[in-house]
Amino acid sequence: MLVVLAYAIAALVLPGSGPSTASVTTYGDASMAARTSDLAAGLGLLAAGLFAAAEPRRRLGVLTILAGVTWFGPDWEGWNHGLALAVSLGAVAPPIFLALVVDLALSLPTGRVNSRLGQAAAVATYTLAAVAAVGRALFRDPILDPHCWRNCIDNSFLVRSELGLTRTIDELWPGALASISVAVVLVAAVRMASASGPARRQLWPGLGAAALVGVAASAYASTLWHKPLEDPHSGLFSSLFVAFSLSVVALAAGIGWSAGRTRRTRTSVARLARELREAPQLGGLQAALAAALSDPTLEVLYWLPDAQRFVDAAGKQAQRPAPVPGNGRAVTPITRGGEMIAAVVHDANLLDVPDLGREIGSAARLAVDNERLQAEVLAQLEAVRTSRARIVEAADEERRRLERNLHDGAQQRLLALSYQLRLAHADAEADGEGELAALLSSSGAESQAALDELRQLAQGIYPAVLIEAGLEPALAGLADTAPLPVELAGVSSKRYPPTVETAVYLTVAEAIDDAAARDATFVHVDVRERDDRLVVEARDDGEQRGAPPIELSDRVGALGGSVQAETTTLRAEIPCA
Amino acid sequence: MRVVVAEDDLLTRQGIVHLLQQAGIDVVAQAEDAEALLRHIRLARPDAVIVDIRMPPTHTDEGLAAARTIRSDHPDVGVLVLSKYIEPSYALRLLEDQPERVGYLLKERVFDAINLVDALRRLADGETVVDPTIVSRLLGRRRRIDPLADLTARERDVLGQLAEGLSNRAIASRLFVTERTVEAHVTQIFQKLGLDADPDSHRRVLAVLTYLRAN
Repeated sequence: MLVVLAYAIAALVLPGSGPSTASVTTYGDASMAARTSDLAAGLGLLAAGLFAAAEPRRRLGVLTILAGVTWFGPDWEGWNHGLALAVSLGAVAPPIFLALVVDLALSLPTGRVNSRLGQAAAVATYTLAAVAAVGRALFRDPILDPHCWRNCIDNSFLVRSELGLTRTIDELWPGALASISVAVVLVAAVRMASASGPARRQLWPGLGAAALVGVAASAYASTLWHKPLEDPHSGLFSSLFVAFSLSVVALAAGIGWSAGRTRRTRTSVARLARELREAPQLGGLQAALAAALSDPTLEVLYWLPDAQRFVDAAGKQAQRPAPVPGNGRAVTPITRGGEMIAAVVHDANLLDVPDLGREIGSAARLAVDNERLQAEVLAQLEAVRTSRARIVEAADEERRRLERNLHDGAQQRLLALSYQLRLAHADAEADGEGELAALLSSSGAESQAALDELRQLAQGIYPAVLIEAGLEPALAGLADTAPLPVELAGVSSKRYPPTVETAVYLTVAEAIDDAAARDATFVHVDVRERDDRLVVEARDDGEQRGAPPIELSDRVGALGGSVQAETTTLRAEIPCA
Repeated sequence: MRVVVAEDDLLTRQGIVHLLQQAGIDVVAQAEDAEALLRHIRLARPDAVIVDIRMPPTHTDEGLAAARTIRSDHPDVGVLVLSKYIEPSYALRLLEDQPERVGYLLKERVFDAINLVDALRRLADGETVVDPTIVSRLLGRRRRIDPLADLTARERDVLGQLAEGLSNRAIASRLFVTERTVEAHVTQIFQKLGLDADPDSHRRVLAVLTYLRAN
């Protein structure tokens, strides 16, 4: 802190402290606007950096302070008769400043670069900046530069003074600046484009400003490319400088805003932790964390050590949380005594609360325990439910198989037999064997009766039309053969999972049978899909209905649904999504 | 009359073929699945085909799908679908695109060569054939407010025969009345039931069946 303050004061005072000459060695010397914006930019960065460095994760702040330090590079370079070392260091600062901006754009708001690609980009930029800076430091002799204006004397690092090399470096310099500036814009654009909605809202002030810096810097580099004679008096260069400085002011503001937001998040997590410690409430930990961290996509998953798997708060099995490179999700484990008890899966761009896991882990012990226990119970319930569903499904499958066997086996053979009896009957008649013909005729009638019975039996075991054509024709079939009028309403031709269709079919069949047994004169059946549930309502005018049969309740219950009977209405709700 | 028979069960197929041959009908080809059936239709150019509703590979409704293809590719060929199910919905699905020259009969129905031959003749005349069991199931359905109660007994008879796909002439000869009388009954029925289809069109079967199913 003190060091930074001292540097700020030095940067304010020293470069202008040389013997006053008529010569202009910085943009600040040329105009008041340039001076003001130059100072605002550098001091802004230093201030934002100090603010951000007060956070437990300091990297963002350190980067910002370094950017502020290097921003003043050109001012040091223009220190008339100043310290040769300061002048020489100042001369190599600009590419490093830009590389720091790239790094900032990559690591906002957490100070960490999350993706491999981003880390590679940062390394590449720093390398390019280092090469440019070192090349300039070692081989550029300002004395040989005919266009020098900031500093025409000192380069403490010079190893060899060569005219050709100096010229080459001066020619390549704008190229290096331009490449890094374009990198800034690209990084900002790519990160904005790939961020989630909430992350974008948090990222845009910093990334937008960084992109502005990149645009201004590339404009400067391209101007320098076309007009190697940089002139602080020229309106073009002077305006470019002011624009550049203002974009850096914006960047400082963006970083400050972002750091402020991180601080607010940290405070709200601390408050949440306190609340959880004082008054743990069952449920809602995920919602509370999501609100505290302003990440609506945040999920809390609980580790069940016995079952060796993760479940969500509702007990549904969840995938083992693991960060997938590039999908923007991060996992923060909540640990206690070194054991993971839960994991928070969140947007990698949003959350940056160091030790969140530990902080929540100790504070929210009761809350997490409660929720974890509840999740465990729910998970067990879910396991029981799926096993019930499997049992019902297996039973249905068995019935379907029986029905098919009857149809394709026994019924088919009886049919073939009937045809043969018919043919034999025709032959016997043709041969004038009346007695035989009569016998064959009655055999034919018998086999016909057997076929009818077999068909009814198969239909009772499992209605083939239900699996082949769905609920609508199957329910219409029930209505066709019902012993009392059945009105069907709302049934759509949409197909549902077989277990759901069977449950609906059996509910309706039960409602009709029961209504007939209670001397009703009609049944009105309504089957509608509402909020991912099929709601079956059968109303009649018979006597009071009893409780629904246990087989039906079991079957519907196995699908996570329910059946209720009220006076003369049977109502079932069956999840169908 | 030239006929192709498609049925995957060998014994049943042979039974049907024998019945047809005894009735003097020319069975030009036999098929075990829908694909072979379509090939035979292209090669043998039959007047009609008899097709089992359930055939390989899934044994569900291949016959209906084949019928649909035949109706669109070979509109002159009559299609008689045989089924083991008394399912009005299958019959309606068969009829809904184009009720001319299609029929839906229960397999038992064709034990009697007379029924089979009669059905084929009716298809050749451009009529529709719907199994009487299906019609009686639809007619016999219990209704809370029965619109059929307004019909006279004779009109109910006529309605049943309409639903089976019979032409006015066929109904007249079955009921021993004149065609004019049948026409009058039909008009009366359509009026009483509020059917707005053309009482003389081929689609009247579909209109009547749909009505019976929905009300």
